[in-house]
Amino acid sequence: MTASSTTQSDWVAPARVRPAGGASWRTVAAQECRDLWLSGRGPLLLFAFSLLLSAFTYLAATNQAINFLEQREAVNLTMQIAVAVGVLVTLLVSADGISGERERGTLESLLLTPVSRRALVLGKLAAALTVWFATYLVSIPYIWVLGRGVSIVGQALLLSLVVGTVLAVGLAALGLLVSALSASNKVSIAVSFFILLALFAPTQLPGGLPKGWFGDVLARVNPVGAGLHYSTAILVNGHEWTRDFNYLIAPGVLVVLAVVPLMLLSDRIVQLEPGSAR
Amino acid sequence: MRARIWLAVSIAVLAVAPVAVWAGPAAAVTAGQPGNPLEIRVEPARQSAVIGDRVTIRAQVTNRGATRTDPLIAHLNVASLTGTYVDLEDWTAGPTQPVAPIDPAATANVSWEIQAVNTGSFDVYVVLLPNGPGSSGAGPLVAGPPTHVTVAGRRTLNAGGSLPIVVAMPLLLGAVALAARLRRRRT
Repeated sequence: MTASSTTQSDWVAPARVRPAGGASWRTVAAQECRDLWLSGRGPLLLFAFSLLLSAFTYLAATNQAINFLEQREAVNLTMQIAVAVGVLVTLLVSADGISGERERGTLESLLLTPVSRRALVLGKLAAALTVWFATYLVSIPYIWVLGRGVSIVGQALLLSLVVGTVLAVGLAALGLLVSALSASNKVSIAVSFFILLALFAPTQLPGGLPKGWFGDVLARVNPVGAGLHYSTAILVNGHEWTRDFNYLIAPGVLVVLAVVPLMLLSDRIVQLEPGSAR
Repeated sequence: MRARIWLAVSIAVLAVAPVAVWAGPAAAVTAGQPGNPLEIRVEPARQSAVIGDRVTIRAQVTNRGATRTDPLIAHLNVASLTGTYVDLEDWTAGPTQPVAPIDPAATANVSWEIQAVNTGSFDVYVVLLPNGPGSSGAGPLVAGPPTHVTVAGRRTLNAGGSLPIVVAMPLLLGAVALAARLRRRRT
């Protein structure tokens, strides 16, 4: 929620914004979405995202080195990049959620509105997730163009929706937690970016993770690696959806470990100064 | 009359021979080495694939001797018959598998799922290496019969077909982002 004049007037006039009960988070989410998408920040992120996917899709379709891969692998690679970058953008938007408001000086007026802090973070979480769903919609034509002719386009789209949404919810909640606890917006974004890189790095090891029980545990514990492994097992190796289902435990645990503390501790951590008492 | 019989037999043999030759390698093949009790049976003996396909190679190791074997290592290798460079890591992530000691007259099964990543003709074969305290590094090695894999090429991706999407999407989203910026400036 940025400090535009219309936004401010919406928030400081309690008579106009006195949503009752569960509706309050929806009001926050609607306002956040307006700020995100009408300010041009969201469309700009989508434009950059489409440039990246276009470059990769063209390379996958023309480059001989990549072209030897089976079509399923090309679709899987594109889907993984779409999920990874979509989740990254969602995480960065949520990492700006609380600490950004603090730095722009708009958090105080936001806290004065008759909206609970839990509704505030829930609304911000919902707004951040719109970025993920928008990147998902943008990725659909790319996956379709690479996967048409084989019967995996629908499967790939459903997989990226399921795996990507679970990861996006978990990481966006984590980004908001980091944002609420960080002393500055730079720290929040840097820490969130580092977390995502740390989760992605093991998936990019040459030759994959080490074999044996340790590598297996690492593959299952890392929510990003486990989610991408699950999609590869279905799309490339042709496994049944239920066969590797336990790989979705780690992304599910991430959602619980990030969303539950965020909701329970929102009254304590959403403060004008990080770490100060209410 | 005799000449006719010979002619008929010859025609019959010529007609049946290719079928026999074709049918022969399709079944599993077995190989062992003189003096070595281990025998390897591999299937399939012949496989045609298109690049990118996955092929499962199954080996059945039988101990024909009277004593229990040492622990073994089963190693799969891919050799090109057409001069294509083969990087084994591209074909399989785990070419080497341990085989527990095999009792007399018992068998052990090992399998590999390989992905055909090069075009051409290849022989895929399994080698058994002893890996006991006394036999490790001493041999002898036992090689199984080869599985002949013929891999045909395929160009699955259509660069021309992807071009409209690759160009149109950024243009469309760039226009939307620009419109949002201009709208914000006006307000």
